Amino acid sequence: MQELLRRNPAARAWALIMPSLVFLLVFFVAPLFIVLIYSFLTRGKYGGVVWQFNPENFQRALDPLYFSTFLRSIYIAVVTTLICLVLGYPLAYWITTRPPGQRNLLMLALMIPFWTNFLIRTYAWLTLLRTNTGLINVSLMSLGVIKKPLPLFANDFAIILGLVYGWLPVMVLPIYAALERLDKSLIEAAQDLYATNRHVFLRVIWPLSLPGVVAGSMLVFIPAIGSFVTPAILGGGKSLMIGNIISNQFLAAHDWPFGSALSTLMMLVMLLGTLIYFRSALREGGGV
Amino acid sequence: MDSTPAVELCDVVKTFGEVTAVDHVSIQIQDGEFFSLLGPSGCGKTTTLRLIAGFEMPTSGEIRIGGETQGFRPPFRRPVNTVFQQYALFPHMTVYENVAFGLQMQKIDRAEIRRRVGEALEMVHLQGMEKRRPKQLSGGQQQRVALARALVNRPKVLLLDEPLGALDLKLRKAMQLELKSLQEHVGITFIYVTHDQEEALTMSDRIAVMNEGKVLQIDAPAELYENPKHRFVADFIGETNFLPVKIVQLHPDIVVELGDGTRLPAGWAEEHLRVGQEAMLSIRPEKINLYEERELSPPNATTARVQGTVERLVYVGTDTHHTVRLRNGDTIVARLQNFYVEEEPWEVGETTYAQWDAAHARVLSKE
Amino acid sequence: MTTETLTATQERARPQPRRLALGSWLLSGYGIVGYLFLYLPIIIVVIFSFNDSRSTAKWAGFTIDWYREMLADRQIILSLWNSLFVAIVSTAISTVMGTLAAMGLERYSFRGKLAVDSILYLPIIIPDIAMAIMLLIFFNVSGIGFEPWRVQFLGNRLAVPYSVIIGHVAFNISFVAVVVRARLANMDRTLEEAAQDLYANTWQTFRRVTLPMLMPGILGGALLAFTLSLDDFVITFFTSGAGFNTLPVRVFGMIKKGVTPKINAVSTLMLLFSLALIFISILLRTRAGDEEETIQFGM
Repeated sequence: MQELLRRNPAARAWALIMPSLVFLLVFFVAPLFIVLIYSFLTRGKYGGVVWQFNPENFQRALDPLYFSTFLRSIYIAVVTTLICLVLGYPLAYWITTRPPGQRNLLMLALMIPFWTNFLIRTYAWLTLLRTNTGLINVSLMSLGVIKKPLPLFANDFAIILGLVYGWLPVMVLPIYAALERLDKSLIEAAQDLYATNRHVFLRVIWPLSLPGVVAGSMLVFIPAIGSFVTPAILGGGKSLMIGNIISNQFLAAHDWPFGSALSTLMMLVMLLGTLIYFRSALREGGGV
Repeated sequence: MDSTPAVELCDVVKTFGEVTAVDHVSIQIQDGEFFSLLGPSGCGKTTTLRLIAGFEMPTSGEIRIGGETQGFRPPFRRPVNTVFQQYALFPHMTVYENVAFGLQMQKIDRAEIRRRVGEALEMVHLQGMEKRRPKQLSGGQQQRVALARALVNRPKVLLLDEPLGALDLKLRKAMQLELKSLQEHVGITFIYVTHDQEEALTMSDRIAVMNEGKVLQIDAPAELYENPKHRFVADFIGETNFLPVKIVQLHPDIVVELGDGTRLPAGWAEEHLRVGQEAMLSIRPEKINLYEERELSPPNATTARVQGTVERLVYVGTDTHHTVRLRNGDTIVARLQNFYVEEEPWEVGETTYAQWDAAHARVLSKE
Repeated sequence: MTTETLTATQERARPQPRRLALGSWLLSGYGIVGYLFLYLPIIIVVIFSFNDSRSTAKWAGFTIDWYREMLADRQIILSLWNSLFVAIVSTAISTVMGTLAAMGLERYSFRGKLAVDSILYLPIIIPDIAMAIMLLIFFNVSGIGFEPWRVQFLGNRLAVPYSVIIGHVAFNISFVAVVVRARLANMDRTLEEAAQDLYANTWQTFRRVTLPMLMPGILGGALLAFTLSLDDFVITFFTSGAGFNTLPVRVFGMIKKGVTPKINAVSTLMLLFSLALIFISILLRTRAGDEEETIQFGM
């Protein structure tokens, strides 16, 4: 055995990887396949499943009742990603214009909110947005700016705001990294070749920062599509996303096969997103 | 003195996938020798060194150190030590800990380690630096620590992988001399990898010139320079003139012919060359002298002479390089020492006769 | 190039200084607003944890009553211990396994590496809700269930479901592996060769050179795992069966029941934990002497 490990590097590699691999095969890959299989089974009377092939779960998922939630989730995730991009790009750009010492501090300051518990950050917006008792409406009303509370809560606006707040830092980070890597002499070269500021940005800065943009977008889109906490808290029980529907199938409706089918569909959307990401990353030739 | 070579490579081959890094290399390195592996980057010299150290295992062939076959012996069972290109000093250890590392691994007792580390640091003039970390040292000092760390183990053979490459020119020159005298002092066999021909010529007892995985010639520096046996060697070491020629005669004397029919005697030809073959005539620029017509002596069999026009003069301090255009269109460069400042130099456009001793002209195969 | 064209170039290349200044002022203003957006909500949560009223919208004077109430709440204290226990155990396990896997993957090439890589990185990209559901079904189906591990932890009697710890290890392994691997990739391999050259065998090389050099990476990975584990809500929520609370799960339950400044107090406590962990990670990084500029966040 020891001799084998000494002589054969591949055997050594496998020995090192084995604990993690076995663990993940049992507690990650196997569960993944179980979900895939379950999505084709029939619901049992008291929860659980009956081993009977049943493609209806997917048909049911296409039922407008659920499918609309699905589309809304994608819509919310896309809008969240776009807003994060629009807000995050100039922020990343601003950070790169600062002196190096300040830059590191600003990046640290960016990540501190990200490292505080997501639940707390969502809760913070709950205390701000709630219709009658939220800080914003209460303050505006007591100042006499508005007469009736604004509809800030329990809608898509609240969810998108919560998601943008939660994931903005991970959009900024890769864009900042891409901009930071950008060779400043390229900008000077473009200026030397008669490019105006606008053209310097469109023809040099933006294309070179694209890998960061693509990476940041994926880092926002994937967790956004799988949101559970944000709609659960800021959706106020009215505005739901696919993650909440899935969890209901397990926690309330006890329809595991249907819940599995929805999970499978969600992962498919995610996989699709990732594929698009890799393709555009490859096309740009950037090593993201 | 025993006659077993310190290191012996017998027909060693090392391939990485499709690439043959070391191609049937056989070398014998004598005890106490300063031996250099010289060649351009990618020629296989570093791989050869790593094969000896045991970081790579040969695909085929055998490596013997002190007469002992090494086989698949890991590096820590080989009686050799390495000075790495970027020194590879352990950043998390002090200078003392770095130098003591090898001795600790060999389970040598503490007092002995203390004594030997002290000696080693003294040898490289680093006393008092024991507590420092590698980061706090200059490049030259790090270099010395790396040397001490290897030598403290009293290896049979010390392997050095371009150890001076990271130093600036002045420091490098100083370290070259220091390394050489250190080697003479400790009497250990040094195998030294470098791409710098001047460095190799300065320090080595013998040099193996490598290219594309093959050893082309192994000789003492002067021999290598004066009598290159391969076109690559003549080209890589120093500067030389190559004239394309056709071989007219090989015995008893060697005679070649330029494109315009001028016949020239030569001192040596590669063995495999045959009469009628195309070849290259190599002459070092400093072996060539330029004469006016009136200065010429009657032609003889040991002197080669070609007529041409002075085309360009480049003054480089000690010498002036004279580029001469021959009648057939080829050019050769003659390097004339600036012996007398007041002497009338050649002028561009003048007719001249380039002449050299046939013994210095070598016929090398085209490839 | 003539003098005229030169000047023309310069004029065209340089925008009007006034516009440039205005633009950079606008950008700076935007940057500051951006950071306010990130920090204000959190600061408001902290402020209202001291509010002498049940409201989290109207300031009614300073009090620390909510903290008293929090500390008196057995449920909250118990869930805090649960959180710590789960984080410590899962961090320990995932750090060892993740580090080994990182070494295997970074140092060797072998057939099937791509497959192993994918398996190892998938838990990072998959949404936590999907992973939570997968694990929930798995623990039900496999019969492992949600059996608690009854354990005495710093004088507290805890009952922590094995399923929760397994779930946390499952997502933490990947993060540890990524961090350690990055460190390994940056590590100079000739250092290990140098050790071997100096008579250190494979184990000694690992012990004396690889491990110390790798330590900042391993600690960084462990810290990341610890933070993720402490912060996790979704996977814990779905893998804990009934009646088990970590602090985030407890907070979620409280939010569902209604907003009170007590939740703000608990949030502030959790915030302090996060800040402490960030502080430690900065200390680690500066001590490791890394000059990496990007702040690592686990991706």
